[in-house]
Amino acid sequence: MPHEEAAVEHVKHQAHELPNLITLLHENFEHAPVVQFLHQWENILFSLVAISLLGMLALGGAKANRLIPEGVQNLFEAIVEGITGFVTGILGEQGEKHVPFLGTLFLYILFMNWIGLVPLMKSPTSAWSTTIAVGLITMFYVQITGIREQGFFNYLKHVAGNPSNGFGIVLIPLMLVLNIILEFGAVPFSLSLRLFANVSSEDRLLFNFASLDVARPFLPLFFQLFANVLAIIFSMVQAFVFMLLSTVYLSLVMPHGDHKHEDHGEAAGHPAH
Amino acid sequence: MDFFKQNIVPGEVLIQLVAFLVVFFTLKKLAWKPVLTALEDRRKRIQDEFAHLEKTRQELEALRADYASKLQKIEDEARLKIQQTIEEGRRIAKDIQDRARSEAQETFEKSKEHLSVEVAKARVTLKQEIAALALQVAEKVIGEKMTEELHQHKAIQIIEELEKL
Repeated sequence: MPHEEAAVEHVKHQAHELPNLITLLHENFEHAPVVQFLHQWENILFSLVAISLLGMLALGGAKANRLIPEGVQNLFEAIVEGITGFVTGILGEQGEKHVPFLGTLFLYILFMNWIGLVPLMKSPTSAWSTTIAVGLITMFYVQITGIREQGFFNYLKHVAGNPSNGFGIVLIPLMLVLNIILEFGAVPFSLSLRLFANVSSEDRLLFNFASLDVARPFLPLFFQLFANVLAIIFSMVQAFVFMLLSTVYLSLVMPHGDHKHEDHGEAAGHPAH
Repeated sequence: MDFFKQNIVPGEVLIQLVAFLVVFFTLKKLAWKPVLTALEDRRKRIQDEFAHLEKTRQELEALRADYASKLQKIEDEARLKIQQTIEEGRRIAKDIQDRARSEAQETFEKSKEHLSVEVAKARVTLKQEIAALALQVAEKVIGEKMTEELHQHKAIQIIEELEKL
């Protein structure tokens, strides 16, 4: 029975994405302890590759520090400008301090999404473990920002649904449970599941077109090329959506926006007003 | 639950958490902050440069206007001085002419006066000579020696008679 389970696990693991360097090694040197170790932690290893590339871009871009930017510096500064403009467009000028977090989030996810499109590589974001980690960090960052920006008492008030009358006070237990589930559970869950599902679906799509190529040469190649172009675009869109939603969550806990009025209808009781 | 167990590996989640945090703090310190600061510095520098350029342009414009007004003033002054010099020249010429005219008139008057005096002198001399001549003629005619007083008296008498004629 354990042998059957292992076989099923093996088939499950292999069936949904193109083979990468480590799965090829694992197929050929299945019993080598090093290969087993690499196979077990392949997502981490490919994450390290993506992190290295991200580090080369970001640190290379920052290190140059020329007055007239060129090459990597130019690229990285354009990215920083773009992200800063986007974030401050939503959060206002005070959102600039969140640019490092949101920018890192965007580039981290983008590099992890894109690296799967390189032959013999894998997207670490096609594993839920990777995306849930990023989702949890986002959730913690948002909540810590909420406490910092609003103060602990107002943050608690916000979690309790900003009660301003007797009815609001009666509803505190319900709102508390709802907000805790929404902000501590639903946020990382939805963020991570969306990213994981999209990226793994892209990988499955590419894998299936590649299978068609093997079965019927030439014609499906166009579909695979098309799917690759789509995957490049959607990988960027997914990273962008992750950053956008994180920015929106941040704007919801910051004490300035008009969304407070719309969401709770209790702007009068809000500390920032 | 099997789906969660199958897809979420706690060890991997933990490592990914740590990895992201390390990446975030590293990039925040070494990439984001320096680049954001550099961009802000560059923006400020460009703004300052533009402000400085605008200030210099305004200064140049003011200098140009000042220079033009000074040039205009100098031209006006030069024109005025030329005008004054011309007036002065005219005035001097007129003075010279007036002076020359008055001097000429004066010389003419003096000459005329001098001439009158000379004519008067000549008249007196002529009278005396005529008197002497007449005396000599009378002496010859009368044949007597006349005294000086008588002589004078008669001569003048004859002259006056002659003048009456």
